[in-house]
Amino acid sequence: MPSKDTDTGTGKGRSIIVETVTRLMVPFIQLFALYVIIHGAGGPGGGFQGGVIFASSFVLYVVAFGIVKAGNRFSERANIVLFSTGVYLYAGVGLLCILFSYGVAQFLNYGYIPLTHHFEENRALGMDLVEVGIGITVMAVITSIFFNLVWKREEVGEREGED
Amino acid sequence: MNQLSIAALVFVLFLGGLFVYVAEDIPAFGDPDSAPNRYVKLFDMDATGLVEDLDQGVIPASLNAKIEAVGLPLPSGVAKLKEGEWEAVIIPEETKQHFYPKEQKYYFIAKEGDELWVYRYSLYMRFVEEGAHETEVPNMVTYILADYRSYDTLGETTVIFTAGVAVLLLLRRTGKRPE
Repeated sequence: MPSKDTDTGTGKGRSIIVETVTRLMVPFIQLFALYVIIHGAGGPGGGFQGGVIFASSFVLYVVAFGIVKAGNRFSERANIVLFSTGVYLYAGVGLLCILFSYGVAQFLNYGYIPLTHHFEENRALGMDLVEVGIGITVMAVITSIFFNLVWKREEVGEREGED
Repeated sequence: MNQLSIAALVFVLFLGGLFVYVAEDIPAFGDPDSAPNRYVKLFDMDATGLVEDLDQGVIPASLNAKIEAVGLPLPSGVAKLKEGEWEAVIIPEETKQHFYPKEQKYYFIAKEGDELWVYRYSLYMRFVEEGAHETEVPNMVTYILADYRSYDTLGETTVIFTAGVAVLLLLRRTGKRPE
């Protein structure tokens, strides 16, 4: 088990190798996550998988730099906004379908959104939008769960230290 | 309650009402006329003299020949649904009856004017055969998950969202805490 200092972001007990490798890896992991989300329609992948990969980049950042520095980079407030944004994006696409399919109420029938002139291509594009929504939600929720668990542990440590 | 909570409440009620309304719109399970359950049309043929045969539960030889020409299994019986609509079933061999339903609804025959239109039942065959050009997406998993079953996926996303909110409420760092 690591000592308390490694978690509180004081810079004690850090490895320059881990930090450098993390700094190099994080953007590539995020790029790969975006690739998985966007290519969900063409290859293996999709919103759930891409979201988890994106969240794993933040987990790696926390492991290397500690929760305080990571918390400054990725605020909890933004996280809360993001994880409802994804669901609203999904439901919003469904609502758009209702609005554009005048009177037929085709919820989540993406073909009715007039993005292109072809019904089938509209369906493909609507699917991409929905995958992005799923990706945002999954990413924000997993990051939020991980951050909150780490905060809790650190707080307990601090209180024990005060006694 | 401040204004923001009231706005949020109205928004949530609106979304909830929308989802209930949309769920009401989903057709009953197995409804053959529903959009996802619709048949795949195979061919049409001249109806003269065939209607009486079909009504009596006999499959006309010309219909069998047409089905064979398409390359699909021959039906073993016909049942009348209502005037001008029939349903052909396949009863699988004895050895396969442990794994399949005893009776597979296979073909749907409808009389349209002077013609018989022969459709093929089945949701999963529609997913497999028609999905790729109905949605312009080559990945079968994605188009089933995000298009045909998108209401289900919306629910899954909501479950994940709810899990996040629950963890946030239990373990949140900032906010009021009993001292």
